[in-house]
Amino acid sequence: MNALGALLLVLVFPGFAFTFAFAMVFAWIDRKVTARVQWRVGPPFLQPVYDFIKLLGKEVIVPAGGARVLFLLAPLLGLAAVTVSSTLVWQGNIWPEKGFVGDLIVVIYLLTIPSLSVILGGLASNNRVASLGASREMKMILSYELPLVLALVVPIINADNSIRLGEMLQSQPAVWHVSGILAFMVAIICMQAKLGLVPFDIAEAETEVMGGPFVEYSGAPLAIIKLTRSMMLFLMPVFLVTVFWGGITGGGGIVGTVLGCLKVLLLLVIVILLRNTNPRVRIDQAVGFFWGPWVTGVALLAVALALLRNVIWA
Amino acid sequence: MGLKLKALCKSPWIFHINTGACNNCDIELVDALTPRFDVERLGVLLVGTIRHADVLVVTGGVTQQAAPRLRRLHQQAPKPCLVIACGTCACTKGIFHDGYHMVGPVDEIVPVDIYIPGCPPKPEAIIDAVVKLLRKVA
Amino acid sequence: MKDREEIIAKINEAVGKKAVSSYRPAPNRFHVSVAQGDLRKTVKLVFEELLGRYVILTGVDTPQGMEVLYHFSFDEVGLVVTLRVLLDKQDAKIDSITPIVRGAEWIEREIHELLGVEFVGHPNMRRLILAEDWPEGVYPLRRSYGRDST
Repeated sequence: MNALGALLLVLVFPGFAFTFAFAMVFAWIDRKVTARVQWRVGPPFLQPVYDFIKLLGKEVIVPAGGARVLFLLAPLLGLAAVTVSSTLVWQGNIWPEKGFVGDLIVVIYLLTIPSLSVILGGLASNNRVASLGASREMKMILSYELPLVLALVVPIINADNSIRLGEMLQSQPAVWHVSGILAFMVAIICMQAKLGLVPFDIAEAETEVMGGPFVEYSGAPLAIIKLTRSMMLFLMPVFLVTVFWGGITGGGGIVGTVLGCLKVLLLLVIVILLRNTNPRVRIDQAVGFFWGPWVTGVALLAVALALLRNVIWA
Repeated sequence: MGLKLKALCKSPWIFHINTGACNNCDIELVDALTPRFDVERLGVLLVGTIRHADVLVVTGGVTQQAAPRLRRLHQQAPKPCLVIACGTCACTKGIFHDGYHMVGPVDEIVPVDIYIPGCPPKPEAIIDAVVKLLRKVA
Repeated sequence: MKDREEIIAKINEAVGKKAVSSYRPAPNRFHVSVAQGDLRKTVKLVFEELLGRYVILTGVDTPQGMEVLYHFSFDEVGLVVTLRVLLDKQDAKIDSITPIVRGAEWIEREIHELLGVEFVGHPNMRRLILAEDWPEGVYPLRRSYGRDST
């Protein structure tokens, strides 16, 4: 693949421009469904775009005493990571033969970088509230990453121990087995925490810590942060459907693609409804929940069941 | 600045500060943000920090303790930033006019873009004022 | 279980003869004016012995002088006892009751900075509600504030 082709892939389709457009759509769907659940009308369709453009026009203020370069660079790291991982996931869906061995691992690694950039930005802000938010985000990462990776091990076992996204799409979808369903449910809960949504939005709890790690951000860096979060909201359901449920192209053909899109929308609606019907939990409750039997325990059980199935059917 | 203001009017994020009000205006303002009046149709969101805000809503006549803090808040807001004076105490000092602790109405501390009289103003009046302000600025 | 008359009788017995005056504006209210030196003893009696609940203090600037009222409530019988102390306006000094009633700390700070009453023996006399740059010695709730050059 030549350099120009790779550049087009990352920047236009299915990279930055494609993900940007769909991130705006998904952010709008999120706000509209939230509004409908609360019996109101909700913002117009282009509202996320208006927010983005408005934030680009605001003054950028760097707090005195903060680490200037790190403060401005941290959002860009998150954006770059999400863009590249989106490219990889969509490439695995549309051109399964073009992936490489281990691209699943690369995607998992890249998807932790937006949370790390949040922590970096919060700690570079020279603000007590931002440090508090950053430390809470650190605790959250330590809680949900383990069950998420454990849950992602189940489709790996299911696809005959292959870590290529393309090969996972060719084997039977993981949700057709009990272990797959358990792992899928664990992955949905970990996705809710990864996206930083209620009940696990402890880091950015607006009423408690005034915006958490993002307290001092304004203008274009804030626009990039919000864009990164919207892109994660778009990318995570697509990633989960790819790994667990047979991908966007599904069984193939038009019907498969439509079903794939519906699966993604179903996951999005689950996330939004979870977000609207739950109160926020405390940080110690969240850590206890993720390390307890209901999340990590179920994930381990799913891995054990998958291994058992492999042994019996091998 | 014209294009920035135009974009601001499509998605004004508000930050609320109480500089010594009796809290009635605060209750009415928060009431206007509830699902019953649904200001998210206009793109209005309540943000928790002044750095994210486009509109600063000030309630209360400004007491001697609040005046330097209000000035500092306005400086901390990224420009362009609009200011709304909500309630009679914020427009003039209201019934606290001769109070020993009142420094002045809000426009003696920060420049105000729209005044909402009323003690307290109804949520409909607050939303009407926000719409008028957005139309005037855009 | 006491009743109202019993409580009033006990207070009268302790300070009644030395009290300046006492009156009952309503069946559930009882006011007694005590001398400056008797205040601590009376508060100890009402708060610790009779187990009245401390409510609040009130400061009043009257033509006769600066008056401080101490309100205690007896919830089971429905009686509010008020101890009144009259102080000289130029030299308003009274014993602080904070060592006895911990909850009176902040209201004594407030009365001090708004009316200029000095509470002798207060453990933590700092500015409470006025602004940091408010001048010392200017007491805004006095009747003479703003009229002549205070």
